Amino acid sequence: MARINECLTFMRQNMKLTIGLLLLLLVVFSCAAAPLLTSHNPVERIAGSHEAPSINHILGTTQLGRDVFAQTLYGGRTSIVVGVVAAFITLILAMVVGICAGYFGGVIDNLITTIINIVMVIPNIPLILVMASMLGKISPIYIGLIIGLTSWAWGARVIRSQTLSIRTREFVYAAETLGETRFRRLFFEVMPNMMSILSSLFVGTVIYAIMAEATLEFLGFGDPLSTTWGIMLFNAQNSAALRVGAWWELLGPCLGLVLLGAGLTLINFSIDEVSNPKLKVHKIMSNFYRMRKKGKV
Amino acid sequence: MKYFLQRFGFYLIAFFAAITINFFLPRMMPGDPVQSYIATLYSGGGNISADTVHAIEKLFGFVDQPLWKSYLNYIGSMFQGDWGVSLKYYPRPVLSVIMDYLPWTLFLVGTSVVISYIITTFLGIFAAWNRGGLFDSIVTITGQIVANIPAIVTALLLYMIFASQLKIFPSGYAYDSLLFPEYTWEFARSVLYHAVLPATAVILTSLGNIMVMRANMINQLGEDYIVMGWGKGVPDRKVMFSYGARNALLPLVTTFAMSMGYIFGGSIVVEMIFNYPGLGLLMFQSLAARDYPLIQGLLLLITVLVLSMNLLADILVYFLDPRLRKQGK
Repeated sequence: MARINECLTFMRQNMKLTIGLLLLLLVVFSCAAAPLLTSHNPVERIAGSHEAPSINHILGTTQLGRDVFAQTLYGGRTSIVVGVVAAFITLILAMVVGICAGYFGGVIDNLITTIINIVMVIPNIPLILVMASMLGKISPIYIGLIIGLTSWAWGARVIRSQTLSIRTREFVYAAETLGETRFRRLFFEVMPNMMSILSSLFVGTVIYAIMAEATLEFLGFGDPLSTTWGIMLFNAQNSAALRVGAWWELLGPCLGLVLLGAGLTLINFSIDEVSNPKLKVHKIMSNFYRMRKKGKV
Repeated sequence: MKYFLQRFGFYLIAFFAAITINFFLPRMMPGDPVQSYIATLYSGGGNISADTVHAIEKLFGFVDQPLWKSYLNYIGSMFQGDWGVSLKYYPRPVLSVIMDYLPWTLFLVGTSVVISYIITTFLGIFAAWNRGGLFDSIVTITGQIVANIPAIVTALLLYMIFASQLKIFPSGYAYDSLLFPEYTWEFARSVLYHAVLPATAVILTSLGNIMVMRANMINQLGEDYIVMGWGKGVPDRKVMFSYGARNALLPLVTTFAMSMGYIFGGSIVVEMIFNYPGLGLLMFQSLAARDYPLIQGLLLLITVLVLSMNLLADILVYFLDPRLRKQGK
């Protein structure tokens, strides 16, 4: 009983985390449990074209007579998996580049920092668009790969500056004195101390990757035979769903993207709050400011 | 002066990197763009002779010469403003096609960035001032969530609600098709009216900068001179704007320049959805038509635009921030 109460208090104190997790779990679970929530096949013609939402088809049907709700649930699976894979690639690249630059310093650091800055100023979305167009219609996993390979610069920059500050701490010198190998020092001494930054970077990258994937597929670079949120938007746009008033065809994927984005953003906020004590201090100080405003201090 | 040279050198290197990527990208990709273009010509029922194939190869820059030589040729022609000939709008040069669309994008992105800068600055200032309060939570969280939602969803939802269902705003084009581009009040009004929805979409995607302004402002509010101001009994409003905000504003110039690439990326999608005749729409059309010279030209031009905005911001900061000027001496 005491445990549950403790949990409830924790949740009440971290409203952002609670709501964020709820939204995330809602989206992820309903996508994972798609066969339980809908009996329709997402790629089968089961009804007339552009039927309005009804009890049988909660979000209506597409131009091809497919159930939008079923497509949203099944499509979410691919979208989320691709987003997470792309985020992993991005984070690993960012970590290797960032830690190397921050730890070795000197010429290596200067060189890597210049490269990072160059990659950062070259606009990302047009570059991804061009790459995707030259590869032709590509499967979702390739889209994840492209996003991963082109989006690491921001993370590398953050990790580099964090490594710079950790590198000069005493325990790293201690490890050096003990004769630990450079590899071990990097990945077993420095890296674990950046877990909070890494996790918040990871969540941020997942958001970015899922959204970039949807954008690419919406613009027509995905495989039109697969079912993802981006492809659903692409099909809706192509069948002029809005022009004929079939707004429900867009509602499913839009809702999925918005709920997922909102959930992950809220989680990221709470990670920042927990890991960055400065933000907490401001929370304490806010009482002081409030009292000052009322003229009590 | 050293500062200027340093920054200018950096952007020059970045520019060369962009040109290099642009040059090697079509050559690194699996599948031959020449072949795929010929294939699309075939499927269109065209009759292709050996001469045509050779002409297309030349168009793409695949001529029989060492790679480094064609690379140098490429750089040379880029600087001379010879960006090749568009395939879709044959025989118009790429640069002249782009120039038709460029003003609309500059207008759309320019207006959005100015409005977005004003909105994010003020929201950030007030959020930092009331940090921990209700206003702060609502503004920062909503701003961040809206910024994280991709431009396609924001733009599609705006289109769905205001253009398609409520029919308050037009659903495409930059001005009324019955009007001619001229300097009249009516034309200007039509242009503004058509820009409302696309600009709103672009502004919404850049709201993430509220967080940056808020963080800057909070850092400033922790400084001693703020406490000094309060201690002297300076009114709150003056501490907020003349003390804190004035100093917090500076880093935001750089932040905005850094996010220009992101904003341009957003505007590409937005222009496509609202059928707005800017670079984004042109890019989308040329991607669909596999017009590689035009695609490469667009990528290069957008990069140049973003780079020059960054350079401009660096120069601006130099004049606004006396600390940078002192460092140089």
